[in-house]
Amino acid sequence: MELDPFQKDALAEFGNIGAAHAATSLSQMLMSPIEMTVPEVQAIDIANLHNYINNEITAMVVFQIQGEVADGGYVVVSMPRETVIQLTNQMLGTTDADRDINEMDQSAAIEIGNIMISAFLDATAELLGIVMLPSPPALAIDMAHAAFESIVAQVAGDVNDVLIFNTELTSEAPPVYGSIYMLPNAELTQQLFLMLERMMEPLS
Amino acid sequence: MENNFFGEETAIILGLGELQVGKCPMGTIGLGSCIALILHDQRRSLAGLAHIMLPESRGDTDRPGKFADTAMSALLEEMGKAGSTKSSITAIVVGGASMFEFSANSLNIGERNATAVKERLQEQGIRIEHEETGGKVGRSVYYWPEGKGRLIIKRADGTCIAL
Repeated sequence: MELDPFQKDALAEFGNIGAAHAATSLSQMLMSPIEMTVPEVQAIDIANLHNYINNEITAMVVFQIQGEVADGGYVVVSMPRETVIQLTNQMLGTTDADRDINEMDQSAAIEIGNIMISAFLDATAELLGIVMLPSPPALAIDMAHAAFESIVAQVAGDVNDVLIFNTELTSEAPPVYGSIYMLPNAELTQQLFLMLERMMEPLS
Repeated sequence: MENNFFGEETAIILGLGELQVGKCPMGTIGLGSCIALILHDQRRSLAGLAHIMLPESRGDTDRPGKFADTAMSALLEEMGKAGSTKSSITAIVVGGASMFEFSANSLNIGERNATAVKERLQEQGIRIEHEETGGKVGRSVYYWPEGKGRLIIKRADGTCIAL
């Protein structure tokens, strides 16, 4: 799948709207400003995935996209271990940053993922004019690439590349860093391209 | 991403769905639900590695390393061309973890991958010399085909085994 510059831009704008809503909800939750990068959209050959997704221990909260697009792919919130601990501390008012991930961190990661992804999907679904809902979340705290493989296996059975939207979120205080990924399946990808075509039609 | 685990320039890191037959060091990094299938021919210091993603190809043949069934036949065919016979080949199977907690089953295909690979090995009458499958932890695998072969498995929890 080759993306031309126009498709890339338009898809990035689509991801931008979702990510902006997700960032706003995270910012409200933490009561501190969150900065985000403009989403990068790439069609990545599955064989090259390990050049894009690192192998650090990362908390990944994963949702399947459901609703009017049946099994439309996945959205993922990924946060390094330290960020999860920071976020739990921030929410509970505790300060111990030098500890192992515990059950409280897991719940916090899932809750943060829930809130961000609901906002992300609400905004993008409105743009597409369809209903998209997140499935219940799944959580992995492990090598990021290892967790990603399971997701890619679900969306790339029939194809050899995946469309990945990647937005990075940062905050100074608390020091938070994370990414949102969206991996639409083939059907939802088609729908995205249709939407792009509609946007290109001249006004009459 | 820097992948200099081997410290050796000749090492080949195989991505999702790739396979390789040769005498050089090979590995896969960040193995989750996927399987690293290693076929080893001690007599020729030759090995084949496939980074398998799903159990069944259902007729899809453009990337044989991607599926358990096509990966097995592709590796055997290439090793056969290099002079290996089935009786001189042993197997190592690593991976097939269930990475996600609180997940509906769809994300946890690791177990199905492991079962499919082992069934294929049994069909071919190839002995499994070492197996580490299942569990909930990601792994990286490095293999040196020389002699008896040398294997290192690094787990995400920091533990490491060498064979």
